Amino acid sequence: MKGRLAAILLTAVLLPAATAAAQEAAAVEEQEPQTREGLIEQQQADKDATLTPAKPDKAEAYVTRISDIFLAGQMRWHAFFHSAYSGGGFTMGAGYTEFLSPNNTLDTRGSITFSGYKRIESEFIAPNLFGRRGMLSAIGGWREATQVGFYGIGLGTNVNDRANYSFQQPYGSATLTVRPNRDLFFVRGGLEITQWRQNPGSGDFPSVETKYTPSTLPGLGAHPAYAHTTAAAGIDSRPAVGYARRGTLLSATWQDYSDPDHAFGFEQLNYEVIQHIPLVREAWVISLHGLLQNAYEKDGQQIPFFMLPAIGGGDDLRAYASWRLRDRTSLLLQAEWRVIVNRFLDMAVFYDTGRVAHGMNDLKLSDLKYDGGIGFRFHGPLATPLRIELAKGPEGFSMVWAASHAF
Amino acid sequence: MGRRLTILAAVLAALAVVPALTAGLKFYPDDPIRREPESRDASKAVPLNIALFYEYAINLFVTERHKPSNTRAQNVNTIDEVPDSGWLTNRIGTTNLSGEQIARGPNVNRGPAPESWVILREKTAGTSPGFTARDANGQTWFVQFDAPEYPGASTADVEIATKIFWALGYNQVETFITTFDPAKVTIDPKATVRRLSGVRTAYTREDMNIVLERAARSADGTYRASAGRLLEGKVIGNFRYSGVRSDDPNDLVPHEHRRELRALRVFGAWLNLVDLKAGNTLDALVEQNGRSVVRHYLQDVGSSLGMANDYGVWDMGWEYFYDGPATKRRFLSFGFALSPWQTVPYKEYPSVGRFEGSEFDPTTWKPQTPTTAYLELRGDDAFWAARKVMAFSDDLIRAAVHVGQFTDAAAENHVATVLMQRRDKIGRAYLPAVNPIVNPSLDAGGRLTFDNAAVSAGFANAPSVYRATWSRFDNATGDTARIGENDSATTTMTAPANLPGAPGSFIEVDISAESASNPSWRKAVRTFFRRTADGWKLVGLERLPQKIDPTDAGTEARP
Repeated sequence: MKGRLAAILLTAVLLPAATAAAQEAAAVEEQEPQTREGLIEQQQADKDATLTPAKPDKAEAYVTRISDIFLAGQMRWHAFFHSAYSGGGFTMGAGYTEFLSPNNTLDTRGSITFSGYKRIESEFIAPNLFGRRGMLSAIGGWREATQVGFYGIGLGTNVNDRANYSFQQPYGSATLTVRPNRDLFFVRGGLEITQWRQNPGSGDFPSVETKYTPSTLPGLGAHPAYAHTTAAAGIDSRPAVGYARRGTLLSATWQDYSDPDHAFGFEQLNYEVIQHIPLVREAWVISLHGLLQNAYEKDGQQIPFFMLPAIGGGDDLRAYASWRLRDRTSLLLQAEWRVIVNRFLDMAVFYDTGRVAHGMNDLKLSDLKYDGGIGFRFHGPLATPLRIELAKGPEGFSMVWAASHAF
Repeated sequence: MGRRLTILAAVLAALAVVPALTAGLKFYPDDPIRREPESRDASKAVPLNIALFYEYAINLFVTERHKPSNTRAQNVNTIDEVPDSGWLTNRIGTTNLSGEQIARGPNVNRGPAPESWVILREKTAGTSPGFTARDANGQTWFVQFDAPEYPGASTADVEIATKIFWALGYNQVETFITTFDPAKVTIDPKATVRRLSGVRTAYTREDMNIVLERAARSADGTYRASAGRLLEGKVIGNFRYSGVRSDDPNDLVPHEHRRELRALRVFGAWLNLVDLKAGNTLDALVEQNGRSVVRHYLQDVGSSLGMANDYGVWDMGWEYFYDGPATKRRFLSFGFALSPWQTVPYKEYPSVGRFEGSEFDPTTWKPQTPTTAYLELRGDDAFWAARKVMAFSDDLIRAAVHVGQFTDAAAENHVATVLMQRRDKIGRAYLPAVNPIVNPSLDAGGRLTFDNAAVSAGFANAPSVYRATWSRFDNATGDTARIGENDSATTTMTAPANLPGAPGSFIEVDISAESASNPSWRKAVRTFFRRTADGWKLVGLERLPQKIDPTDAGTEARP
């Protein structure tokens, strides 16, 4: 009896409490979603109360600004790593490009090296003449090279016989390149007014006038002025001059250096061949380069020693010092096996060979100088901003740092 | 003793009236949902364009190192399917699409009227030649052309890929193949073009000529073009493959955890959609049920089927734009360690890009840059995607390819054949990789039936035995109580006799299979049924656990 009474009492006490709890739970239930869609909608409502505008983070905004500057024509200042003359060493420089019209530019730039090579110039470029068939380049500037190596004339010179000279050169030129069909074939013509002022050299080697005289070295100490005329024709199927894995260049260039004093006038013919042979889907490329330069003096005139064709340096015989071999005729043959490492980096093994001669009749494929090496090229689809190469030849090792393609 | 029992009974009776809270329920009454709600107005969403170089850099050097969470996609419903949403509309694999429907794809309006064109502005995205122009009917179109080296190829690929991605469920722009006759072109006086200097000047006929010089010209002087219709609604930029839009209240699931975005790794591999970047997506605000919601588009799927912007590049689909391991391999071997793209044979057709199926491997396929969603793909995502791909019959593929309007029947046949080859490789790679039980059904009489997607597709032999473990399932607590277990050599089983009979009760049936060649099938697919008045309804299916160990089943198919 007591038990039943207790049960009744407990029920009486608990039931209202339980009912209250049930009502409370029901109230909660009204707030809690009863369906999957309701649950998602509640989450959407919660987010709706805390919306913020979508915007790029700081890093993205910064990169966007930078890419706009470079790609949208807003970048006026640029680096300029071209030395005044080959052999000047590490080059620092900058330029400023001004658009004179939507497509035509005026680029003013300068560079300097630790050895005192200096260059300052302005170049006007009109890239879209004659219905995009022609491009005009007009340059005015001045440069100075302080310690250009000279090892004597001919093939038999010795690397230990280096002497240095310097020169200063003001120049003004205009060059017009025309592709009549906007295609492979091109013709080019140009006129340059310039003066080469050859002076004693500086640096660790004796100056050239201490080893030679004007009678033993044509043009020593001369300051010839030239009207330099150029005419060229050829075909060029390379996708870009600054970087290519396929295509051909065949060109012939005639140059006339007219000295108004009729002392140092001469003419020069250059023949150049480049062939890129892609293998296994352009992952390997065999690249071949040939360059023949032949200068011949005008009647009764001389070719100054510093104007003679030369080979040696980071673009041709890479294990040889710049301007190592000079004479009236030069032949350069290069072969590279290039390997794609990725879309931005190529490796290459290369072999360079060449020689100079006193004229075409003396040019033989014997006694060739040679070197070989390995290179790394950081490139984009159109250009090679950095080329690092290690070359080895009979005259030793050479490390090449260049801001341009090899060929 | 009796008194105590009486008291306990009274207490329990009182407490029994407290309803179970719905919070924590595994299954809601409306599960599985078929559509993701978009309940809030998104009109405050603002344009956001993703910087190309930033995206490339982040994807190549940061995202590439992303460690997958190995968690289940967060936008799947309780039966492991993707509900319709502003991202995806289930089409193939869910409904029976005809060849005509696929050939029509997203196109609901008439194509361009090419009798005359008015150029409105330059093309600012991508490198293929083109511009924005208005047709004779006053409709605005994004017009782009084929490269001279590949006449008919890019325009065909845009058409085919658009139709296939539409069938796969993605929002696509209406596109048509049309003709463009320079003699019938005028230039809008307001049209401008950005010059090298950065300034905008009037668009000239010479500017048009520059574009057309980079395009394949037909013998009659016209140009074949692909025309994409201007999107309806307000375009608000691109979507990212990770995170959510902070200004879209309906965008709850981080994009890397959306199955349809993870699955682009599979679909992209199928079509070789290499340009899988955010810049090729579009978000647009559209009106729906009286409010603005965001529609997410795969806007540019034209870098497919072997065509891409730079024809001098062979490694698309095989390597990232920058690929560390491949770089190291070639560097150390001086190029002698050949990569597959250097030797894979391609059939050459002028109207077809570099597209092949013999060396294709979906598990090693790579776009130009990885995305977080791409890296998050796991076995159940790939399985879902592979079923969609396998739903394309040979006839449907041929119907999709035919919209490319190839002038060379052999080229058309080649593209279709390669798509079939690649489809089968995807099915072979991803269907058997996880337990492929699909379509489980339990009738009122306790007869359980299901299919084996890998066996049905012919990519695996039938297992020696199927095993089902039956349990009561408490929807509030998640507790299970074992009922029984049985085996079958077929895909039909009979439930134990003591299944709960009360409407609203739940059971869990874990179905596994014994297959010597597919050990991953021993991992049971968990299925859940709710008792209804007239039988059992499938309310849950879990192919893989919520989070899986990287070495566990379902990840081995991931590269």
